[in-house]
Amino acid sequence: MNDILKGELVRLSALDPDEFGKAFSRWHRDSEFMRFLDMSPTQLQSQKGIQKSLEDDLEKQKSDKHWFTIRALSDDKLLGDIDLSIYNWTGRDAFVGLGIGERDFWGKGYGTDVMKVILRYAFTEVNLQRVTLNVFEYNPRAVRAYEKTGFRHEGRLRQFLNREGKRWDMLFMGILRHEWMEQNEQ
Amino acid sequence: MRDLFRGKLVRLTFEEPEARAKAEVRWQRDTEFHRLADSDPAQMVSEKKLKEWFEKQSEIGFKPERYPFSVRTLADDRHIAFFALWLDLIHSEAWVGIGIGEREFWGKGYGTDMMKLGLQYAFTELNVQRVSLGLHEYNPRALRSYEKAGFRMEGRTRQDLMREGKHYDSLWMGILREEWIQMQGGDLNE
Repeated sequence: MNDILKGELVRLSALDPDEFGKAFSRWHRDSEFMRFLDMSPTQLQSQKGIQKSLEDDLEKQKSDKHWFTIRALSDDKLLGDIDLSIYNWTGRDAFVGLGIGERDFWGKGYGTDVMKVILRYAFTEVNLQRVTLNVFEYNPRAVRAYEKTGFRHEGRLRQFLNREGKRWDMLFMGILRHEWMEQNEQ
Repeated sequence: MRDLFRGKLVRLTFEEPEARAKAEVRWQRDTEFHRLADSDPAQMVSEKKLKEWFEKQSEIGFKPERYPFSVRTLADDRHIAFFALWLDLIHSEAWVGIGIGEREFWGKGYGTDMMKLGLQYAFTELNVQRVSLGLHEYNPRALRSYEKAGFRMEGRTRQDLMREGKHYDSLWMGILREEWIQMQGGDLNE
């Protein structure tokens, strides 16, 4: 059987709050990264505070959240994190959230590779029916990576966000189990 | 000025936790209501627990992010529904959710009237830029009602629901501030 936690460029690793807290507090100072990550206003936070909330999150982590850090296969460098959160067990649907904090690794296929790994995990290990994600209109690089991985556009909430005085759409995308299966038959 | 709490068929009210729990526990015994209201597995709730929850909510009092109401008919003052808006303060957008628990008021324009009040409240009192809602594919009555109130279809999460062994989509709708203002006949300053 394949190593399901490993792709062509990256592997998934266990989240170490100490290591990840240090890296994340460095990425936190990159306001562009933070704006790709979520809708909250960008804020600065102490490393201690970040570490504490990571530890709390890990403590609470249950069977409905699968959370990993991402490492480059070439030099084992920590690049970011990814989580698969099952919010609807009866529909077997999960939200996936991806953040690559190391800018040197943007736009080089790392996001696409880790997304492929998490989809394989979602459909062959957690046995989900579908996987969902949200992405902001001002992040076309992410949209392309998700399209390459097999996600289809499912809709857009028009003018959902306000960034830099302008309104932007929030896009949502999804991939169904049978679509992934067909794509990965061999 | 406009009456924010009064429509053509209904008015928005605050019901005491005890009355609200009593009514909503009864509505929750209707599995069709359950399935139209959300996508969780239908479960029974305790009236005591629900009352405590509403009490806690009313003790917290005003929170700028949430605007819960109950709904009564104008004709005979019957408590028939709940209604709530949730606001994102940073991005100035709101989500709306309604549920008509009393079946005899389904399909008669009460939901549309409620939603019109909700949009008026969102755009003229909360001053948001857009309002969003979600519904299930198997609820065409709600879809028609939301369209009448001015919502447009924005997307569908394919096959994320399973009911009675079949897959259904979740649908997402939205209305922008300028669309709503157009529906009111244009510039509100004139």
